[in-house]
Amino acid sequence: MAAAALETATKELNQQIGLTTDGSQFLTFNLGEELYGVDILRVQEIKGYTAVTKIPNTPSHIKGVLNLRGTIVPIIELRTKFNMPTIDYTAFTVIIVVVVRDKVMGLVVDAVSDVLNIDKKDIQPPPQFGAKVDVSFLNGIGKSNDKLVALLDMDRLLLDDEMQDGTKAAKAA
Amino acid sequence: MSNEFAQFQEAFFEEAGEHLAVVEEGLLALEQHPQDLDLLNKVFRSAHSIKGTAGMFGFNAVAQFTHKMETLLDLLRNGQKALSPPIADLLLKSTDCLKALIEAAKTGEGIDDETVQRLTAELATASDLKVEKKAKVEGSHSRSSATSPSTSTFHIAWTPPEWMFQRGLDPLQIMKELGGLGTLDKVMLDTSRLPHLTEIDPEKCYLSWKMQLATGKDRKVIESVFEFVREDSSLTIEEATVSSFKSQVSSAASQHETRNQEHETGDQGPKPLGAILVESGMVSPAALDQALAQQKRVGEILVEQKVVTPQQLEQALHTQRQQEAAAQTKKTDTTSIRVDTAKIDKLINLVGELVITQSMLSDLGSRFEIKQLPVLLERVAQLERNTREIQERVMGIRMLPIGTAFSRFPRLVRDLSSKAGKKIQLVLSGEETELDKTVIESIGDPLTHLVRNSADHGLEPPEERLDNNKPEGVTIRLNAFHEGGNICITVEDDGRGLNRDKIVAKAVKQGLIGENDKLSDDQIWPLIFRPGFSTAEKVTDVSGRGVGMDVVKRNIEALGGTVSIKTVTGKGTTFTLKLPLTLAIIEGMTVRVGKETYIVPLLSILESIQPKEGTIKTVVGRGELINVRGTYLPMIRMYDVFVLEPEYTNPMKAILLILETEGERVAVMVDEILGQQQVVIKSMEQNFRKVEGIAGATILGDGTVGFILDVRGLLEIARHGTPVAA
Repeated sequence: MAAAALETATKELNQQIGLTTDGSQFLTFNLGEELYGVDILRVQEIKGYTAVTKIPNTPSHIKGVLNLRGTIVPIIELRTKFNMPTIDYTAFTVIIVVVVRDKVMGLVVDAVSDVLNIDKKDIQPPPQFGAKVDVSFLNGIGKSNDKLVALLDMDRLLLDDEMQDGTKAAKAA
Repeated sequence: MSNEFAQFQEAFFEEAGEHLAVVEEGLLALEQHPQDLDLLNKVFRSAHSIKGTAGMFGFNAVAQFTHKMETLLDLLRNGQKALSPPIADLLLKSTDCLKALIEAAKTGEGIDDETVQRLTAELATASDLKVEKKAKVEGSHSRSSATSPSTSTFHIAWTPPEWMFQRGLDPLQIMKELGGLGTLDKVMLDTSRLPHLTEIDPEKCYLSWKMQLATGKDRKVIESVFEFVREDSSLTIEEATVSSFKSQVSSAASQHETRNQEHETGDQGPKPLGAILVESGMVSPAALDQALAQQKRVGEILVEQKVVTPQQLEQALHTQRQQEAAAQTKKTDTTSIRVDTAKIDKLINLVGELVITQSMLSDLGSRFEIKQLPVLLERVAQLERNTREIQERVMGIRMLPIGTAFSRFPRLVRDLSSKAGKKIQLVLSGEETELDKTVIESIGDPLTHLVRNSADHGLEPPEERLDNNKPEGVTIRLNAFHEGGNICITVEDDGRGLNRDKIVAKAVKQGLIGENDKLSDDQIWPLIFRPGFSTAEKVTDVSGRGVGMDVVKRNIEALGGTVSIKTVTGKGTTFTLKLPLTLAIIEGMTVRVGKETYIVPLLSILESIQPKEGTIKTVVGRGELINVRGTYLPMIRMYDVFVLEPEYTNPMKAILLILETEGERVAVMVDEILGQQQVVIKSMEQNFRKVEGIAGATILGDGTVGFILDVRGLLEIARHGTPVAA
């Protein structure tokens, strides 16, 4: 009984402060002028940028690895991943630590922005640019007020071939 | 069965396993030295322990069987019988059977009754020294059925009076008394009368029970247990045969329960009616299935007949679900390690020391002056010593000598040897090599496959060996040793070696390779790890089905290890399993290349040198070789391989580490050696993937990540280039 009451109360509270519980919340961050969003349930934490150890013989967008309280976490620079020009790190540069299929990874972004509620009806499918611009890692385009948020598909973004076990392919070759 | 009891059972199974191992080992050793009375006594003691504890836990079948083994062992001990090969055989077979019995008791599954009966009879015959002995054995045999004919099962339903607690009586006491009369197989608690929490009177008893009691005593005795609570109790005691009881119990829940029930009462339970009908040919299986499909759930019927209320039924189903869940958790193998108490005592002492050091440090920190620096350094050094020692001891708890995995092989080889008619000698070495418990548990099967394979395929019959000027007896060697942060286990035989032509022919036949493919030996040998690949002309029960080698490879790779083969036709084959030390801490040398720090496993470092002018030569302009006391070793510049910016590109200024991997030696050039340090291996694969040339990562003193060098991988990159271009 009490549990049910508590649940209703939480729901009401959430509605009052503008939160919904249906998972359509996104943590948004900036890369230059552009705004990107990741499903908030995928985000483990946000931490300031600290120096990483570079992994030899890996693609350049893999910045290196970081010691996150005893676990080794690979750090990916999104600007390089998206072939955007790199900029110097500032006090706003952060690492968003996400969990993708039990793997913990960090994304270096220019700055974190807001947590936004985006209704399903405000999300449109990813645009098609053909071969010119690769947007396969987008889940869709969200609209919040007059802002455009590119919603990232974490699975596709982070579990592409170079993150997979490359050694197997190498051995077979 | 209460949880506590289950917990003790767990301990029993563990202990029984250990005793069984002692019995088996002892018997094998006894075969070689039949006169060794100490050994015999040891075997006897272990068998006796199994019997005693099994009896205590009510595993009668186990106890009875062990008793018969014991009888025979006793005769041997008294010198009334000699340990002849047939008797040794029989005892070993009995040990296997005992193992199966204990396993059956553990899982609650049925056992191979026939084997038990046969071996029981054989044991009895073997012990048949005098007529009276035989009588004694047979006497015990007749008792071997779990419940003697005079035992009957009572179904007791008891609702105690509400004033029970007020008068200082305890239902548990009654249960205990009932338990004393016989075996209280099943106790079901009915909480349906329990009022809402707000209305509950804590001094009143709202509970009732249904119990199943197997006892030799009669109804009057049972009734007398309830004497003090008889007044106001509702008590029914019904005598039931085992089968009719089952139907009654099943009436409390659905049919699923009945099946569980059969497991619990063990193998002696009669077959379901349907099975008997089908077996006797009166009913076809299809007809039976159809009939069963029409059956309503017992619970539904009972509700329809208004025997139980839906609430009570719900309650019963709830209980059933709980039991199912409990059974499930029980099945998942609980693993435990037996640790010497001395080890734990030492650990506790160390933790004590650590706490003291910590308080000394914080005391110093709270009023620190710079002139106390030496004191601080000294205490930090103490802290380091403490942590290192604790680290070692904690790791030591998980580490077991590999001998535990090897111990099964003497028996295996003995059996294989007699079956195949080959004289096989097994030589074990490196048993004391310690590795992680989980690894030890998982290499048992792959090793068994390899040993079987060697015995069956690898070794030629005695005549063929004599023809080839080899000693008649063959040798299989099992060896374990550490190499560069890995454990290597080799299985070596001096048999005929792999037959290249046969493997190629078979591979061509299976379409794995083309007929005219030119393949090197190193490409051919791994073909035997393909699923379904076997070159044995006939399939024996030992091997030849082509499963096995692929399982070996899969299991070892699952552990993060590798399997390699070396073979010389006519001389023998060596399989080398290379396994990582999981959870391991390795001793490493920290080296610097440019700004990066790498850890080189100390075990692979032979020496470090500063090259002199003129010791480095090149071949074909690029391949660099260094002269180390007369031997030219290939030189690898680490910054080249890992694409780093080094401080020195001139070898005369840098340091060369002479490393060894799989018997090969190379010189690796680094900028500087920073020091020696123990490092905890952290997995790179957990969140990333395997990186060529890197065995793992670790956290350095300043909190950043350092990589542990994989010498083999480094060599591969240097030779073949990198798989992922930077």
